[in-house]
Amino acid sequence: MVPFRLVAHPGVPIAEQVAFAAKKAIFSGKLRPGDPFPSVRALGRAMKIHANTAQKVIAQLAAEGLLDVLPGIGTVIAQPPAPRNGRARLLTRDIEQLVVQAIQIGVSMGELQAALGDCWRRLAREDTA
Amino acid sequence: MIRTDRLTKRYRHNEALHDLTLEVPPGSVFALVGPNGAGKSTAIKIIMNLIRPSVGRAEVLGIDSTRLGAVELAQIGYVSENQRLPEWMRVDYFLEYCRAFYPSWDNGLAEELVRHYHLPLDRRLSALSRGMKVKAALAVSLAYRPRLIVLDEPFSGLDVLVREQLIESIVDCTPEATVLIASHDLTEIESLATHVAYLNEGRLEFVEEMEVLSARFREIEITLDSPSGLPSGLPAAWLDPELSGVVVRFTDTHYEPVRSRDEVARRFAGVREIQSREMSFRSIFLALAKSRRTQCA
Repeated sequence: MVPFRLVAHPGVPIAEQVAFAAKKAIFSGKLRPGDPFPSVRALGRAMKIHANTAQKVIAQLAAEGLLDVLPGIGTVIAQPPAPRNGRARLLTRDIEQLVVQAIQIGVSMGELQAALGDCWRRLAREDTA
Repeated sequence: MIRTDRLTKRYRHNEALHDLTLEVPPGSVFALVGPNGAGKSTAIKIIMNLIRPSVGRAEVLGIDSTRLGAVELAQIGYVSENQRLPEWMRVDYFLEYCRAFYPSWDNGLAEELVRHYHLPLDRRLSALSRGMKVKAALAVSLAYRPRLIVLDEPFSGLDVLVREQLIESIVDCTPEATVLIASHDLTEIESLATHVAYLNEGRLEFVEEMEVLSARFREIEITLDSPSGLPSGLPAAWLDPELSGVVVRFTDTHYEPVRSRDEVARRFAGVREIQSREMSFRSIFLALAKSRRTQCA
């Protein structure tokens, strides 16, 4: 069984949707470092996607360092990077966008922080919290 | 894998297919969609050499469709909604019978498909449900590992479980095989299809890669400061603009974030808010079909 599911999100390329679902599963601990990641075939079947799309997803996750490709064995979940300070700036643009949207629809700062915390706790493993 | 060139089919009183030119690239899962009577089946029948085009030609596996012979057909798997099966045959005999026609028949795969589909080997085809018949037809079409798989409305009238099994089988054939699926409903295969061609009343409306298609369609909703009429001469790329009070809604068929916003600002005075919503493939096709109807009316 592939331990994540695809929630259809129209307008987003299917490979991106699957890669995102896989990342959530990895960060939430449903897939742990060293666990095997589904093969192209298994991923294709489970997500109902073209084998080339499944291949693309796996290549992308490997390129981003989330998967280790072990020749002759398969693909496993990589060790996560150690938490490092000073990396939040990489998200500046996303944060700006989120804050602008929040203000536009009248969400308070406290409310947004609480929602962010909830989401973090839901998705992230305890040790990264 | 397949190439059609200005394919046209005329019957005495109507034209079922008009000037269809398209190319199905190797390894693709190519969806041919459109409402009933759009010409999908006609196109498929020409491609399979079941009927001849009035004008134009189709090339399949590199040869003219009208010259498709045993050698080529042994590399094409074909399942259609109204396919006739030898109803009197038992399932096991049917498999045995088909095997003789195909040099590349894979016994192991055939057995796996029988198991996966729960085909009752000792029953006659005539005694099978519609779903079972389709599965039997698909099993004998996949067991020789065809390079090209052509499916004409494979899902119609089947329950969800059977559909699921068929889709899994199609997934398993990628990326080695090329798949052409005609269907009036894209929901099942929208995550699997790589290309989509939309036919309507015998004409090709567009053919596109799925990723490109989902990027360029958005439902746009504009909120105005005060009620006004719809300006005239709105872009043709905006389908069915509707106005209700201060809200304008339409489907943008050539959406680009910045350009679309500028265009809206140019056309409307006093825009309070613009929202763009991503659309499922189903709503894209619905919007297209609806806009055709209003244009004809």
